[in-house]
Amino acid sequence: MTETPRRLIESVWLPACLSLALAICVVGVQLVGSESLRVTLTEMLIRLSIVVGIYIFIGNSGIISFGQIGFMCIGAYATAWATCDPTWKQIMLQGLPDFLREHTYPFPIPIALASSLSAAVAFLFGYTVLRLSGIGASIATFAFLVVVNNVYSNWTSVTGATSSIVGIPSLGGPWAALAFSCLAIVVASVFQHSHFGLMLRASRDDEIAAKASAVDVLKVRLVAFVFSAFLIGAGGSLYAQFLGILTPDMFYMSLTFITLAMLVVGGIGSLTGAVAGTVVVTLIIESLRALENGIFLAGEKFALPQGSQEIGLGIAMALILIFRPQGLVGGFELSPPLRLLERLRLRLGAPAQQSHDLVSRGD
Amino acid sequence: MIGFVQNIVDALSLGSIYALAALGIGLLFGILRLINFAHGDFITIGAFALIVPSRNETAVMGIGSLPFIIMVPAVCAIVVIAALMSDRLVFRPLRRASSPTLMVASFSVGYLIQNSILVIFGARPKGIDLWSALGKQIAVGPLRVPQLELVTIGVTLLLMLALSAFLKKTPYGMQIRAAAEDFQMARYLGVKANSAIGVAFALSGILAAAVSLLYISQTGTLTNVLGVPLMLYAFIATVIGGMGSLVGAVVGGFTVGFLAVMLQAYLPDDLRSFRDAFVFGAVVLVLLVRPAGIIPTRALAQRV
Amino acid sequence: MGLLPKLDSSGSVGVAVAARAPNTADSDPIPVMESEAADLVADDITVAFGGLVAIDNVTLRIMRREILGLIGPNGAGKTTLVNCLTGFQRPNKGEIRLGGQIASAWSPQHFRKAGISRTFQAGRLFRDMTVLENVEVTAAGVGRLRQASRRMALEILDHFGIADKAQTIAGTLAYTDERRVGIARALVVAPAFVLLDEPAAGMTNAECDDLMTAISGIPDDFGCGVLIVEHNMRVVMGVCRRIHVLDSGRTIAEGTPSEIQTNRAVIDAYLGTGTPR
Repeated sequence: MTETPRRLIESVWLPACLSLALAICVVGVQLVGSESLRVTLTEMLIRLSIVVGIYIFIGNSGIISFGQIGFMCIGAYATAWATCDPTWKQIMLQGLPDFLREHTYPFPIPIALASSLSAAVAFLFGYTVLRLSGIGASIATFAFLVVVNNVYSNWTSVTGATSSIVGIPSLGGPWAALAFSCLAIVVASVFQHSHFGLMLRASRDDEIAAKASAVDVLKVRLVAFVFSAFLIGAGGSLYAQFLGILTPDMFYMSLTFITLAMLVVGGIGSLTGAVAGTVVVTLIIESLRALENGIFLAGEKFALPQGSQEIGLGIAMALILIFRPQGLVGGFELSPPLRLLERLRLRLGAPAQQSHDLVSRGD
Repeated sequence: MIGFVQNIVDALSLGSIYALAALGIGLLFGILRLINFAHGDFITIGAFALIVPSRNETAVMGIGSLPFIIMVPAVCAIVVIAALMSDRLVFRPLRRASSPTLMVASFSVGYLIQNSILVIFGARPKGIDLWSALGKQIAVGPLRVPQLELVTIGVTLLLMLALSAFLKKTPYGMQIRAAAEDFQMARYLGVKANSAIGVAFALSGILAAAVSLLYISQTGTLTNVLGVPLMLYAFIATVIGGMGSLVGAVVGGFTVGFLAVMLQAYLPDDLRSFRDAFVFGAVVLVLLVRPAGIIPTRALAQRV
Repeated sequence: MGLLPKLDSSGSVGVAVAARAPNTADSDPIPVMESEAADLVADDITVAFGGLVAIDNVTLRIMRREILGLIGPNGAGKTTLVNCLTGFQRPNKGEIRLGGQIASAWSPQHFRKAGISRTFQAGRLFRDMTVLENVEVTAAGVGRLRQASRRMALEILDHFGIADKAQTIAGTLAYTDERRVGIARALVVAPAFVLLDEPAAGMTNAECDDLMTAISGIPDDFGCGVLIVEHNMRVVMGVCRRIHVLDSGRTIAEGTPSEIQTNRAVIDAYLGTGTPR
């Protein structure tokens, strides 16, 4: 097999498999699921796109960022600015510039606005902060989350401060969310297989050796950070259009924790892990939520106290970190069965080629 | 001019609280390379330790109504126990884990504590009255200074002297200091003993308890996330002071305290609610000039 | 003393190895950079950490197509000097020059792009990545496109006889393979100079022989100058024509292997009786 088709198969295989698995879920739920299950699935798919966006930065750079949900907040509010009813905006959000206050914009402009604004903020913030050591940068991202929350909770004329923004038109159910999360997976996979992904992972394994290998560490980190914010901003936009209502506190510690848990539980080092973690954590959350609402056992109503969801998730996260720090998937990435494909080609009479690079990659 | 001096006293008082919190964080970073995001929640535990556990809206003082001489050790004991438990249950099994893993683990511990408090005490903020007699102002020349601020500054100085004596005179203290100064070397010499780490967690707990009491006596409001902003300011303090240096933590704490108070005092009215954003922005600017902080240590320097 | 083994003639092993059939132009996979005349120079540099002077007014010149040895007791400042020559340490005084350019303030990636590469004592491979990717990173960093990077990486792995390990995860390699990948990574994209920091550490005699063969061939195969920091005198005396000796941050001798072996100051430094510290 020559280089080009092999590389093509490599970069297409992973997103194709993951997207297919998700599509099967959606079809299944659409056929037999209840309305509430459909809503849960939609929310999971949107969160998946966020987790994949976070993965692009954290998974490839090895730097933990606590601030990515801040970009979701930025994207969600940008969408509200672009889609809410002008008469409402004239009253509630007087500080908006004219082009936002007096108009509404159709799909896909709100999403484009959301992701570009997030990416622009990420560029400015990342350019100054990513030159700190890994730990320093992590703390700075935490500060970023708090600053975004602080600004959006107080900027009354532009964000409505802590009062809810309402009336964001919906963009559709599970299919739209599926399309978007698949797109996110494709982007993440392309990035991972690109030169930037390669250099970024090198800096994750050994920053000094990466510099000696001519890698501009700040630049590759910044590229991933901006990419990540771009996707997360779009995810935030989708989330706003899914919920129809926004407050700044929706994008704070809890969501940061949940999305980080999804990434860590699945395994921070692989895209497969990000997807698996999102599904598993959603299952944990939904089971605990069901228990909080109460289930009937032998005629007795049995219910966990409110808040068990969060505590259960916290414990699950600690257990994973202690007993399986590489996550459930353990850094495994779905890779194409190249040997099998090669054998098929041989049977079809293609010329055999003995080469070391046919062994399937395990990264 | 008088206003300015008044602001300085305010800044010293707030800086004291941040410095104490930063010291608690810096101790654990020094010996374990642990970024302890749960430190703020240790502070929250100290505050809630004062009242009787209940989901009622009005808080009833429990430990908080005991005489001072019993109440303070009791609160310290509760926070220390929480800190030691978090070490035993989560951080000790993670001794060999990488820094990012530890960071995520501490974030999980913090999240667990916040939500456990939510389950036990309910979601509504509760008002309590701790040492309100100290709220009186005393006149120092033309200045009118709240007694509480002077107490805060005094207590902080005493705690720092005590901590410094402990670190210099006792074997555990010297091990902790050695680890903070040269992590690799200390590891070779066997400082990673669990007992020394336990002592560091206990010290960190006592510092957190002190912050709880001083902070609650000023604000009087309990919420399950009250420690989060304190923790964050303290972290910013350790970063700007120089990660891994305890002196840096104190210097950073006062720097951040000064920034916060001065911005609060001199920002125009309509920008005042964005104070945190300005403080963090200013900190980022400082770090651009001095990426290793005001007092850089070898602790984080990359060895080739 | 066993520290400085006598060889019958200076650099006999190096001469023997270098005498093997040179690569003909068409089989040479690596293009040679044009700036042949440009030497890499540390001109009278001083490096101090706090009060401790690690490098004290040292001048050193590496020429294209030569192998220069850098030796000295532990703590002599050898690695610090390599760090200065690759952008990991900025000298407090003096200049680093590449040809006519002043390179003192360049970043490590700038040095690598300008054709100065290095290996590390600790290996420092990208442990979670494949051997091929380890080498490919440099080609990517220098700005080669994806296809070209992969081809160059495969060629260099082939040259060092480790092409069969291309898809192995670097963290699982045996020690000697790890070393070879480190050297392959430094030699991809035709550097003008390569600085090897203790490449023979921990190797057996037989492994050292292989290594010496490989190092001796570098100037002819890749057209670049080599600086080798090494404690193993058999390797140093075997491959170098010229040796530079540091002690306590100062140059105490320069010359051919035979000159160094009989140099009084060098023997004193190694025996710890000579130069004051």
